[in-house]
Amino acid sequence: MIALYVPGTSPIHRMPAGPKVLTFMALTLAITLSARSAWALLIVFAFVVGGYLLAGLGMRDLFRQVVVVRWVVLVMLIAQLVFLPPLVAVANTGRVLAVIVLAALITLTARIPDLLEATERSLAPLRRFGVNPASVGLLLAMTITAIPVIAGFAASIREAQRARGVPLRIGTFVVPLLVMALKHSDDLADALIARGVE
Amino acid sequence: MTGHPPIEFDAVSVEFAGRMALREVSVVLTERRIAVIGSNGSGKSTFARMLNGLVTPSSGTVRVHGLDTTREAKQLRRRVGFIFSNPDAQIVMPTVAEDVAFSLRGRNLPRHEVAERVSATLGRYGLTTLADAPAHTLSGGQKQLLALAAILIREPALVVADEPTALLDAANTRCIANHLLDELPQQLVLVTHDMRLAARCDVVLRFEEGRMLECGDPRDVIAHYEREHA
Repeated sequence: MIALYVPGTSPIHRMPAGPKVLTFMALTLAITLSARSAWALLIVFAFVVGGYLLAGLGMRDLFRQVVVVRWVVLVMLIAQLVFLPPLVAVANTGRVLAVIVLAALITLTARIPDLLEATERSLAPLRRFGVNPASVGLLLAMTITAIPVIAGFAASIREAQRARGVPLRIGTFVVPLLVMALKHSDDLADALIARGVE
Repeated sequence: MTGHPPIEFDAVSVEFAGRMALREVSVVLTERRIAVIGSNGSGKSTFARMLNGLVTPSSGTVRVHGLDTTREAKQLRRRVGFIFSNPDAQIVMPTVAEDVAFSLRGRNLPRHEVAERVSATLGRYGLTTLADAPAHTLSGGQKQLLALAAILIREPALVVADEPTALLDAANTRCIANHLLDELPQQLVLVTHDMRLAARCDVVLRFEEGRMLECGDPRDVIAHYEREHA
């Protein structure tokens, strides 16, 4: 689940959304290009921890972001261990985890409307190529909003199957989930039209 | 109570995939509180959705406050607010305040004015303490209040509520109903299965199999409906 805004007055909270995203992109590049050593990884994590502390967020908030993506990280690590030396696999996975946790720091310290505004401003030059910045911004916001809703559908389906003694199988899970998600998107489209979004 | 700009249906029919959802509906409504009742599949929701152009007529014309719902849908939707039965499908933004503020997008209002209007609206519906809460974690009643707040911050002239209390318990039904029926200054069209809510309106329309069977005094129309479905 994408981390939601935690109110605060830290320097990171007060940084405008646009420069915040640009800083994140620069840091992502730096982390990606950083030396593949244990020391480099430790420095990266120290930096991430420092970011959370500077934002007035605790280790619990940071740990929560790690827990949310634990299965993704685990699958990534195991897949790499098959083909790469352990230290390299751990370093690669560690860098990805650091980027994910830093990205969460952005949504924890910036309101979604501010991020949308920054996204729309940055995409404005692409209008001449047919890109609608407002639509892209809205799509991002709705993706964030839809994640817990779809997760709720998945939970309902599992509960219903358990209640009926149906074993969990891909076919009996994915199909109803898709149907519910598509129905939800239809309803949401009507709601958006009703709220004046064309 | 009459005197609002008219809602006019002139020989309106709607066909979906070979099925007649509405048949030759003609009515002019100027009352403040308008209830729409009927059994499932009778055409109530189709009727409601025509009021903001979500559904357009296959034949006939619909004019709401002087605007043709087919040709002037964009202007119409600025004047008509719509509340659906499923509150989850109306939440667009992640938090309560952001979702209410979303309704003011495109009006180019200064930030501080948006913040003031959002704050005032949240206060009116008892949502101030939930401003930064994730919208999806609200109870059903709170979500429907959020939907109401998000619509009313735009100050529509007409509010259409399609079974807004269908998924709510008794207490939340009362809360939403009181907001809609007692406190709303705008004209209201309320689609409902709850005859107690219909009885609080100025006029009731009854639908069956796509036809409008009656339009009149709530006591009479509801009595006829209950007699037939006893």
